[in-house]
Amino acid sequence: MATEDVRYRQSSQYRLWSFSPSKLASMRETTNALARASISERMLASNSLPASNNPSAPTSGVNTPEPDGATPTPTPTLPEFLTPAEELMLVTLYTSELLRAGEHMGLTDEITSTAAALFRRFYITNSIMTYPPKDMIVVSLFFGCKAEGTFPSVDHFVKALHKKGPEEILAGEFLLCQSVRFALDVKHPFRALKGATMELRRYGDIEQSRIEEAERHAREILRFSPHMTDAYFHYTPSQIMLAALSLADRGLAERLIQATFHYVAPSTSNDSDTPMANSDVGTKEARREAKAGEDQAAIIGSYVRDKVLGTIEACRDMLSKELPDRKDHWSSIAVFKVQFRPTTRKLTKCHDPDRWDLVALQRRRREQVMDKADSEDGDPEARAGTGTAAKATVDSDAAVFGGALEPRDNKRRKVLDDPFGGPL
Amino acid sequence: MTASPFAVDALRQASGAAPSSTGNGNISSSSSTQRPGPGSATLDLVEQMNEDEKKKYVKGKKLGEGTYANVYLGHARHDPSLLVAIKKIKVQKEYRDGMAPDAVRELTHLQELRHPNIISLLSAFSSKDQNLNLVLEFLPLGDLEMLIRDVDRVRYGAPDIKAWMGMLTRAVWFCHDNYVLHRDIKPNNLLIAADGEVKLADFGLARGFADPGQRMTANVITRWYRPPELLYGARHYSGAVDVWSVGTVFAELIIRTPYLPGDNDIEMVRLISRAIGTPTEDNWPGVTKLREYTIPIEVTPVADKATYMNRFGSVGPEGVDLLMRTLILDPRKRITAREMLEHKWWRTDPRPSRKEDLPRKSGGEEKVAADLKRRPGVVDEEGKAKVARKLDFGGALGGGK
Repeated sequence: MATEDVRYRQSSQYRLWSFSPSKLASMRETTNALARASISERMLASNSLPASNNPSAPTSGVNTPEPDGATPTPTPTLPEFLTPAEELMLVTLYTSELLRAGEHMGLTDEITSTAAALFRRFYITNSIMTYPPKDMIVVSLFFGCKAEGTFPSVDHFVKALHKKGPEEILAGEFLLCQSVRFALDVKHPFRALKGATMELRRYGDIEQSRIEEAERHAREILRFSPHMTDAYFHYTPSQIMLAALSLADRGLAERLIQATFHYVAPSTSNDSDTPMANSDVGTKEARREAKAGEDQAAIIGSYVRDKVLGTIEACRDMLSKELPDRKDHWSSIAVFKVQFRPTTRKLTKCHDPDRWDLVALQRRRREQVMDKADSEDGDPEARAGTGTAAKATVDSDAAVFGGALEPRDNKRRKVLDDPFGGPL
Repeated sequence: MTASPFAVDALRQASGAAPSSTGNGNISSSSSTQRPGPGSATLDLVEQMNEDEKKKYVKGKKLGEGTYANVYLGHARHDPSLLVAIKKIKVQKEYRDGMAPDAVRELTHLQELRHPNIISLLSAFSSKDQNLNLVLEFLPLGDLEMLIRDVDRVRYGAPDIKAWMGMLTRAVWFCHDNYVLHRDIKPNNLLIAADGEVKLADFGLARGFADPGQRMTANVITRWYRPPELLYGARHYSGAVDVWSVGTVFAELIIRTPYLPGDNDIEMVRLISRAIGTPTEDNWPGVTKLREYTIPIEVTPVADKATYMNRFGSVGPEGVDLLMRTLILDPRKRITAREMLEHKWWRTDPRPSRKEDLPRKSGGEEKVAADLKRRPGVVDEEGKAKVARKLDFGGALGGGK
């Protein structure tokens, strides 16, 4: 069991895409702030601002940075930007749309779920004000297929989702791939659910129909609730599975956990909990036994069980906020009008003037590269000496992106809090 | 290791340069130095993270150019002695559906698989022309094929074979244990590190196999190393396909020439039939139902141990036993990678050579490049027709879902 944990910690899902709630919130804030800054700048630069036909545009305050003299007070013409909370609300709204599209196309649960996870990851590193969510839904579904090892033709997607042409889908593919930090493998709770039901059957004393009903219900939850919340960022697939099973049938989930973390220390060694105190234990075997007991306790003892129960309860709470019966809520036109339209309207006014059109953006980027006439891709050695040539290439690359950023190579350390509550 | 670029770090760095929601609001500080241009080169968060990643490495000279990728020598910026190979995947014009399957597969699986006998992906970034660059550990000593072929200058024996096979088997077991099929195991995908460690490379044909119901393409694995179930067009298969490849590599290590060098699928079936035995309903129930099964003209019984001993006896009877189990016709009866690791051959004399004692030759950078830039599934049929026979993996996979 421990080894499986070690392995999960090596997955890109854990290494790159697991965060504590506070970390995730601060990332969203950063992304939002960066987007405001660069969109403001691009709007001002391109003069693409709507000539104050927006009476609600603020003249100062919450949505625009304080003009403290450093910026030449362009604020009056800037639109009102989305807040991080509004961004998250819209990401969730469009996630529900993505899930419906996946279902409509008859994609497997794994593919649709991968697409949803990639979509949500994308909008951690990018603001929904920068890149168009409706396009990214399609890109995510298309690339979700690829990440799951099936390689559909883009024309199929164009037809199924009524797109204008393949470019519309392909233009965002690399952007998506890069934004999710090239981590394409998403681990899901579906297989864990199959395993859990097999295990429940093995106990032999639970009614078949009860297990089947719980599995069906849990699966339905897994297809919806984890994607509509931040569950994938905070919990492991097995924790999500157990939380869903618990929502479907709490008794079965608890039975499974109790049976898994069943280790009870033998009563003789109960008097002393610390290994030091065991020094009076005479024989080697006894000590080894005690050691094995501690190991067992550390893996499947009651302390770990309680920790797991706590984590699963927290995950359960999270999922319970978006149970499948909320599908109607998210797809209801009446609800949309009242709850979301004001925000989507806002979005149409504050989105990025340069990046909203993925096809045009892609074309511009290509042209830029053409202009540069593969100064990067040529063999540096062929063009100049040896070592210095490489340096020159890198420097010129940097120049294009606006000079050196920060000193590189400051030691990157792992800053994730452990949201998983230790090894299972 | 530098293997884990963290979004969090980049974000934190970024937030230093940008106004936080409560900050002093000096908006343009992060990008005031940008040159406005046709694409407005303001640095996005994503672009900045990408730049951070890219700048960790210094790209050096080009080691080779291929249709699939160009390979450059590089080193870590903070430590010039840490050499890397930068594999720049080319956009494949003939694949109309965006990022090509081999690039997606390689990226997907190498991101997840971390094992001493699997080539490590240190980083990935994109160059401005929207090409994918994979930063891989630099493995300077060529590949197993070089050693096998250089009969005049490279001598090796059973202990060396045992060491190499051990490393290969561990790599394959690890893939399978992580529900990944490699699907292109062959000597020139087994690269050799500076310390002699063998590393399985080229995951361009790999795929996950966690979902047992899914249909897969039969058109994988370079032909000489392709198992009979794939030659017969099986669409549902398992780790047994890789195990067969391991077996044929094992045989090749011993006899120092490809064991089953068929020019086409029909000849492959004939060679297997003659060397190992003709697949029949008796030795492989269900084989006649496979899509491309052909009724054999003559039936050769499955080779017995004595036959194998004649040709492969240098690895001893235990070694031959292991070889025979990897080459069992019926994939369901074939040994698994895990069972291979539990085989008694590893524990019988002679002991495997220590890494540092393994024969080697300075592979040269050209070979590194040749190995990395190659398209998956291609046989470099040296001495035969110079035309590389390549698998039609792109379109063939398109339909399968």
